[in-house]
Amino acid sequence: MSIATENAQQLAVQAIKPKHEKTNTIVNGSEAVILSLIEEGVDTIFGYPGGAIMPIYDALFHYRHALNHILVRHEQGATHAAEGYAQMAGKPGVCFATSGPGATNLITGIADAMLDSVPIVCITGQVAEKFLGTDAFQETDVMSLAMPITKWCYQVADPDEIPLIIAKAFYIARSGRPGPVLVDITKDAQFADMRKPFKYEKRRQIKGYKPACKPRDKDITKAAELLNQAKRPFLFVGHGVLLSKAEKELLEFVEKTDIPVASTLLGLSAFPTDHPNYVGMLGMHGNYGPNKLTNKADVIIAVGMRFDDRVTGNLDTYAKQAKIIHIDIDHAEMGKNVTPTVAMIADAKEALQDLIPVVNENKHESWHLEFKKLYDEEYSKVIEKDFIANDEHIKMGEVIRRLSEKTNGEAVIVADVGQHQMSAARYSKFRKTDSWLTSGGLGTMGYALPASFGAKMGAPDREVVAVIGDGCFQMTIQELGTIAQSGLPVKIIILNNNYLGMVRQWQQLFFDTRYSFVELSNPDFIMIAKGFGINGHKCMHADDLDSSLDTLINSKEAYLLEIVVEKEGNVFPMMPSGMGVDDIRLE
Amino acid sequence: MKRRYTIIVFTENNFGLLNRITIIFSRRRINIESLTVSETERKGISRFTIVIDYDESKIRKLIQQIRKIIGVLVVFENEDDQVFFGQIAYFKVITSSFEQREKVMEIAHRHQAKIAFSSEDYIVIEKSGKEEDISTTLHLLEPHGVVEYCKSGRIAIVKDQHRFSKYAKNMDPEGWYSDEEFHELPLNGKHLL
Repeated sequence: MSIATENAQQLAVQAIKPKHEKTNTIVNGSEAVILSLIEEGVDTIFGYPGGAIMPIYDALFHYRHALNHILVRHEQGATHAAEGYAQMAGKPGVCFATSGPGATNLITGIADAMLDSVPIVCITGQVAEKFLGTDAFQETDVMSLAMPITKWCYQVADPDEIPLIIAKAFYIARSGRPGPVLVDITKDAQFADMRKPFKYEKRRQIKGYKPACKPRDKDITKAAELLNQAKRPFLFVGHGVLLSKAEKELLEFVEKTDIPVASTLLGLSAFPTDHPNYVGMLGMHGNYGPNKLTNKADVIIAVGMRFDDRVTGNLDTYAKQAKIIHIDIDHAEMGKNVTPTVAMIADAKEALQDLIPVVNENKHESWHLEFKKLYDEEYSKVIEKDFIANDEHIKMGEVIRRLSEKTNGEAVIVADVGQHQMSAARYSKFRKTDSWLTSGGLGTMGYALPASFGAKMGAPDREVVAVIGDGCFQMTIQELGTIAQSGLPVKIIILNNNYLGMVRQWQQLFFDTRYSFVELSNPDFIMIAKGFGINGHKCMHADDLDSSLDTLINSKEAYLLEIVVEKEGNVFPMMPSGMGVDDIRLE
Repeated sequence: MKRRYTIIVFTENNFGLLNRITIIFSRRRINIESLTVSETERKGISRFTIVIDYDESKIRKLIQQIRKIIGVLVVFENEDDQVFFGQIAYFKVITSSFEQREKVMEIAHRHQAKIAFSSEDYIVIEKSGKEEDISTTLHLLEPHGVVEYCKSGRIAIVKDQHRFSKYAKNMDPEGWYSDEEFHELPLNGKHLL
């Protein structure tokens, strides 16, 4: 086990940290930042130093034994790593970056965290207050950049504000619908001594901000009534189930009501995929049955999901026949895309806990058979073909199937964005909760490599496997250096088709096979990995696949497995853009 | 169908909140017809009055997004019959002769406008009221030589005392919405469901 991993494990068990000895003493702004993070229970920071954040890094040097800092190779990597960490550790991930380019490099990751409701706290250095607005060296108006893509952001120019603002940042990031927060601190505020002794109090409320409320009795009653009378009820699982840790309640609810369960892309692993009630994934490349039968269900109960356009397709033809029970913690999601019959603004766990006693035990055998029939059709037309590697090509689906078998469905799969992501989403078997990380809302290429080592830091005991396409890999390839330097035993699979596969698929299907700038001339990935000190292997033939995957999984260190896959394979089913769930195609 | 809405937003008086709020409009390509911001009688709390022409079917979603902003305390969305509202305008009119001055002052008097300032060369007339009243005054004064004209954004006050006092409690130091009140919040008694 690497030193970094051991550190992370040690730090992870320190659930409650004692008040620091510096409490009630005068410290400067930088030390106040570090002490505040310690008070907040932070054990890991992903970051990159630079001019405007050097005072904070200087303070961090004194606390390097209390706070594990991972030096990324690009600030985008810091945000994705913080996202991976947050989702596995169950608490906000933290990033540091300097002003100007450091801060702007965070932007993609912040936007990613915003769309996927991931709690991260980004702390950026800023030029001194007197230089604000003067186009000083490495000055950007990061506040204006961050406003539309953060849950909250604040610029600090007074060291005395730091403990309060950091406490507020953590509370906002993790409460209600989680999200990214940015705190920008001027360099002079980092250097200056606080006027008052350092004192830290965690926030538990903020004026005007009501992150959660209990479900109303009348909503529970109405929802139970609808579900108890439903002949073809259908349950959608979203990311909110994982965020509220409602997996146990979900299972109990489903086993009592016998409702078929489908998952959104981000809801994967909240419900065991081998459960008889699980019918597959929703959305553009989801399973055939769940999409088609959305328009046959009489009652839909959507838990912690937002009816994203990739799930619904054309809203004009979406689930018009169904009464919809929408459970979500975010009041602004109610009626945003679909109009619910019951709008339950509540935490998923609380809502399910209230629903379980009032719903009837039920059986929906004939309704399940309809899903089975469509699954069989999808199996013969799509799945079976995705699983059979012929002599020439390895299929993405086959790789994922075997990976899932070899890890017993217990690994954390971190998928990047594209065809490989959809294959991983469709064919991974999840037997443990919190086993799936991907960039859903923003679709950020380059997400997986940094997110995977963040995830490993957040859950050192879990096997973490990143599944990445050759295009995505080259967007954050430099983070191999972070993995190597930190000694993190992350397993990396590149599914290489020498294409930007999903764009190529669209060009083939909707642009008359005009392959416009999608072919990649790739470097020798294994040699690059070895250059970083990471071992690897290139698998080119189906008969080498098993042993290659075994080597990957059995490696005690980080390992890169490049698998050359079918060059022009397509991901089906597919709901063409702008079409409805009924229009999903099997070929 | 598009209607005119006066959105009243109470917020904490923090820098950056103006940006946060206007982003909600600009990212949806909604043109703000007028915007007035000032501190309220409660220290540290600001009042935004925003006028837009917007689709009736989408207004609730927009308000829900504004409500989500940290620092926003309460939002009211109103049609014109739900608020008292007005604007203020100043007209600078050159008065080169006595007759002209008399004529301009007569127009001001007839239209319940005030003489805000008077010098030998010009008069500044202050007119408050509805937008159409201000336009009429402008129209009448223009032939006499309006050299400068400005008008404020709309300010508005909610007519329904019951609605305001109930939802305004979130602005009080100890006032917090109960769960039930929070559920009821979506929009002026016209609840989502």
